[in-house]
Amino acid sequence: MTRHSFAGLLFVIAISIAGCAGLPTREAESLPVSDNNAVIALADAGRADAANGKIDAAAASFERALRIEPRNPALWHELAKLRLQQGQYQQAEGLAARSNGWAGDNKTLRAENWRIIGQARLKRGDYPGAQSAFDKAAEQAN
Amino acid sequence: MESPLFEKLRHFVTRKRLRLALLSLLLMLSGFMLYLDITVRVQFEGKRWALPARVYARPLELYPGLKLRPEQLGTELAMLGYHDAGGQLDPGSFRQQRNEFTIATRPFVFWDGAQAALQLRADFDGSHLRSLTDLKTEKPVTLARLDPLLIGGIYPAHNEDRVLVKLNEMPPLLIKGLISVEDRQFYTHHGVDPRGVARALVTTLRNAGLQGGSTLTQQLVKNFFLTPERTLRRKFTEMIMAQLLEMHYSKDEILEAYANEIYLGQDGNRAIHGFGLASHFYFNRALSQLDLPQAALLVGLVKGPSYYDPRRHPARALSRRNLVLQEMLQQQAITQQQYATARATGLGVVEQAPGGTSLYPAFVELVHRQLRRDYREEDLRSEGLQIFTSLDPLAQFAAERALTTRLTQLEKARRIPPQALEGAVVVSNTQNGEIQVLVGGRNTRYEGFNRALDTERPVGSLIKPVIYLTALERPDAYTLATLLDDSPLVWRERGAADWEPHNYDKAFHGQVPLRLALANSYNVSSVRLGLSLGVRTVMDNVRRLGVERDLNTYASSLLGADGLSPLEVTQLYQSIASGGFRVPLRAIREVLTAEGQPLQRYPLSIEQVIEPGPAYLITSALQGVVREGTANDLNKFLSPDIHVAGKTGTTNDLRDSWFAGYTGDRLAVVWIGRDDNQPINMTGASGAMTVWGDMMAKLDPEPLEPPQPDNVEMVWVDSATGRRADDNCQGAVSLPFINGSAPVETAPCAAALQGQSIKNWFKRLFE
Repeated sequence: MTRHSFAGLLFVIAISIAGCAGLPTREAESLPVSDNNAVIALADAGRADAANGKIDAAAASFERALRIEPRNPALWHELAKLRLQQGQYQQAEGLAARSNGWAGDNKTLRAENWRIIGQARLKRGDYPGAQSAFDKAAEQAN
Repeated sequence: MESPLFEKLRHFVTRKRLRLALLSLLLMLSGFMLYLDITVRVQFEGKRWALPARVYARPLELYPGLKLRPEQLGTELAMLGYHDAGGQLDPGSFRQQRNEFTIATRPFVFWDGAQAALQLRADFDGSHLRSLTDLKTEKPVTLARLDPLLIGGIYPAHNEDRVLVKLNEMPPLLIKGLISVEDRQFYTHHGVDPRGVARALVTTLRNAGLQGGSTLTQQLVKNFFLTPERTLRRKFTEMIMAQLLEMHYSKDEILEAYANEIYLGQDGNRAIHGFGLASHFYFNRALSQLDLPQAALLVGLVKGPSYYDPRRHPARALSRRNLVLQEMLQQQAITQQQYATARATGLGVVEQAPGGTSLYPAFVELVHRQLRRDYREEDLRSEGLQIFTSLDPLAQFAAERALTTRLTQLEKARRIPPQALEGAVVVSNTQNGEIQVLVGGRNTRYEGFNRALDTERPVGSLIKPVIYLTALERPDAYTLATLLDDSPLVWRERGAADWEPHNYDKAFHGQVPLRLALANSYNVSSVRLGLSLGVRTVMDNVRRLGVERDLNTYASSLLGADGLSPLEVTQLYQSIASGGFRVPLRAIREVLTAEGQPLQRYPLSIEQVIEPGPAYLITSALQGVVREGTANDLNKFLSPDIHVAGKTGTTNDLRDSWFAGYTGDRLAVVWIGRDDNQPINMTGASGAMTVWGDMMAKLDPEPLEPPQPDNVEMVWVDSATGRRADDNCQGAVSLPFINGSAPVETAPCAAALQGQSIKNWFKRLFE
């Protein structure tokens, strides 16, 4: 194998990993969060604030949206992501589990939630728990 | 001849000595002046009014699709003091034509920023808000908030209350009026008006008492620095201090301080200070929005807020206001035209002073207690914090109504002395744990014993769901169909008398399916189940579900012998209602500073404490309590389609009546009993549940349809034997089971049917 083709192979692997990692997220976000415009507006505001690092404001928007649609799994998921980002792993896990409760057969979202649970457990040092969560995430794809 | 004494005196008072005496007098006087000067400066500059924390209800969120009836919006607007707009749609006014509202909202600063005043059109479609439109642009509005209802305050010592205003926020006519009436020379004098002093001196010398002649500056000094005694010396000090104040500060600074300090009314034990608060107190609007006659009335009140109280003495108040208008006209502060119009206007005072002495003292007390964990008491009473809470005034109103009406009815029906029954109600959001309602007793305005927080009563059968949940967490041993033993039981414990629990109907029921033992609240089978699981295990689960106190682990604890407050019961059921997630109950959403800067948020927090499977099963069993058990009469209040889950609780000798239940959106706990703990002769179903039903019927509850977890399957079983059946079997029911736990053995009916259908199949095949 030449040095060139080795680098090329590495590149392809890297891209495909990145693609795999990014894909579900994009899918999840391309789905409308709700058919209620008020909820959509609040979720958009929450995402924008989260992207700008305004975690408290983002959480406030998602919670406000949840008061309107308490059974919306996408909103619970967004809150779970925020808490994971903040390092509040127990909260992240609970919120992701709550999202799963309402997710029905939305496999993409369920996989995302299991991934959050897995990462949260990983950070808390619960490796077997993390592994089983990642397995559950993988199951959703089948 | 000069007397020897005079001689002596002359000898003593030499010129030198006289000069010395004069000098020391001067020194003393300047020392006194210096002292006063320092006092004035330090106090005026350091003067920070203690501002009470203000507590607000949740703002009503308006968006298309919102479940809200037009009359509910009407009630909300009335509570907020929105008035029927005449020709002009000012902020804080509205118009209603059948199902269409036109609302001009008040501007308000929320946690996430300011919302300007909006003009909205809201169209209703029966029970829902159909559309929301911006009147100015005619564009649809996705989401808007009404300003939140002020529900109380946490007041400083002496209960002084005020809303600080800046001079430039005050209507110019108010200032002109104030100066016309109280101190015409205000902009020209140096703190003391010589003519006023002369006038005062004359009346004093005539022995007609000290009075009048005070400039605004002197009045301010009097309120700021001095005691209310009326002596010549105090008057003298006041004059000096007034002049010192004028030397150091501008007229505007003095006027602003005056406008915020002045006492203008009394609301129970709450003292109304400053024009800012007085404007809300009398007219329910911001000071900047006052018109001429309203401003004139406030000016008139300066002379005597109690004597001229426009609510108690409207005639006096009116003539005082007109006198102010007349003075303003004389001073050419207003035109003849303005004068005539204003004079012809009514007082315009709102009947009910808005949200000072709280209409919801029980809820505000809960808020206060939660705040004390994070703030110093002193700061709560002085920093002017703005507290945003989750109180839902519409639901609170329904709860208060239901409790007070029912208690009166129950007293009559059960021959209980009037006013002997007491009660408490707590309502929370099942998903996020926000407390929407808290009623601490039947006298809902009473700021006293708060039964929702502080009464601890045996919970009776309300504890049973925890026993059954503990069992259902072991799907290998227990399912909803497992048969329990409800035959006589004697419990022997060393050091205690033998205990023989009985059922409420005084009978024993033999083999009973688990779900029906709970539905019918059988004591004997429940105790036997609890004992086999271990009392400690069950009580540990009570704690796991969110009750923080230490609980006894006697056998009788399984029948709820231990006392809990209604709030603690709510926390316990919250974890069940939210599908196994412990969600700490919260009353506060956000705290802002006096200036509207975000200070703290109380975020939603959840922790999974029960697996989804058992949580789903216990809710299903609690729905059975309403469908076919002790709470069956709830169907008289609510449609069976709501699928309410609930549990009745009755204690020994019928002293306490409890009901805890939840729908798709709300959890509510009701307690009824007597403060002296006498029997009330009612069960959970005949007492507390009727309050629950009345209240919920008013709140249009969402049906309870929890999501079925992955590892749960629905299986038909024969009700009597608990064996597998199908829907053709008589008396078969479809029940949820955790995968792998459903019965394997088939009931005879199902087996027969199975044979029948196979025969039919063959028949069809060969015919």
